[in-house]
Amino acid sequence: MISDFNLISEIKNNSLVMATEGYINNNGGQKITEEFYDKKNDDINKVILNLEKTKVVNSIGISFLIEIIEKLNESGGKLVFTNLDPSIDKTFTIMGLFHFAKKADSIEEALTME
Amino acid sequence: MQDNIKLEIKLPKVQDIELVALEGLELMSSHLGIDEEKNGEARILVTEAIINGLEHSGKETPYVTVEFTMTKEKLVILVTDYGKGFIPDEVKEPAIEEKINAENKRGWGLKLMKSMSDDFIIESGKNGTKITLTKHLV
Repeated sequence: MISDFNLISEIKNNSLVMATEGYINNNGGQKITEEFYDKKNDDINKVILNLEKTKVVNSIGISFLIEIIEKLNESGGKLVFTNLDPSIDKTFTIMGLFHFAKKADSIEEALTME
Repeated sequence: MQDNIKLEIKLPKVQDIELVALEGLELMSSHLGIDEEKNGEARILVTEAIINGLEHSGKETPYVTVEFTMTKEKLVILVTDYGKGFIPDEVKEPAIEEKINAENKRGWGLKLMKSMSDDFIIESGKNGTKITLTKHLV
C-alpha cells in the first residue's frame, strides 16, 4: 500500500526541492533529514517539501521535519510545504508547524514566496 | 450492503505494522463510501493510536489489540496495549515553541488524537492502557 518511501530532490532557483512518495514515519523522516544535510549549503535558504504523493505521516516522522525547520530558522531560511493532503495539513496545523514554516499550493508558488 | 462493520486485529510490535490496520480502514471506508477528507483524518488517528500503544506495550507483551467499528456516520477506534500504563494527566502537552531547539522533538501523539477526534477517552492502569477514539464521518 504505502510502506515504501521514495525521495527525489533537485536544486531550483537556489532552493532545495524535495518530493516524497509514501509514508513519512521514522525512516521516511530520517531520509528527508539526511537529504537536507547532504544538499543544504550556504546558497540555499529555502527548502521546499512537496508531499503530493504522501498520504500518511506519523508524529515521529514529523519530529524530523521539526529538526529541519529548526536548522533553517537558525540560518534565516525557510521550509515550505506544498501539495498537502488535507489531513496532513490539519496535522501540521494542530502541531503549530505553520508558525515556523510556510505552505503553498504548488512548487511554483513556493519558489516565488519571499 | 452491511452498514455496520467491525474489524478486530492483534498487531505485533513490528516496523510499520500500523499499515495493516490502515489497509483494513481503507477497505471499510471504501465499502461505506466515506468521504476522503474524513478518511484521511481517520488514518492519522489510527496511526497515532497504534504507534502510541506499541511504544508503551512493554517487552513482555509486545503487541496491541485494535478494534474498529464503522458506520456511515462514525468510526470508533479502540486500541489496547498491555504495558505498565501511565498517568495521562502527567503528560505535558507539547508546544512547537518548546520543541524547536529541544533535543526531544517527539511526544505529539496524545495531542493529535485529542485534537483530531470528536471524542477521546484514555484509561490507563498497571495492566495497560486503552484508548477509545470517536470520529464523526459526516
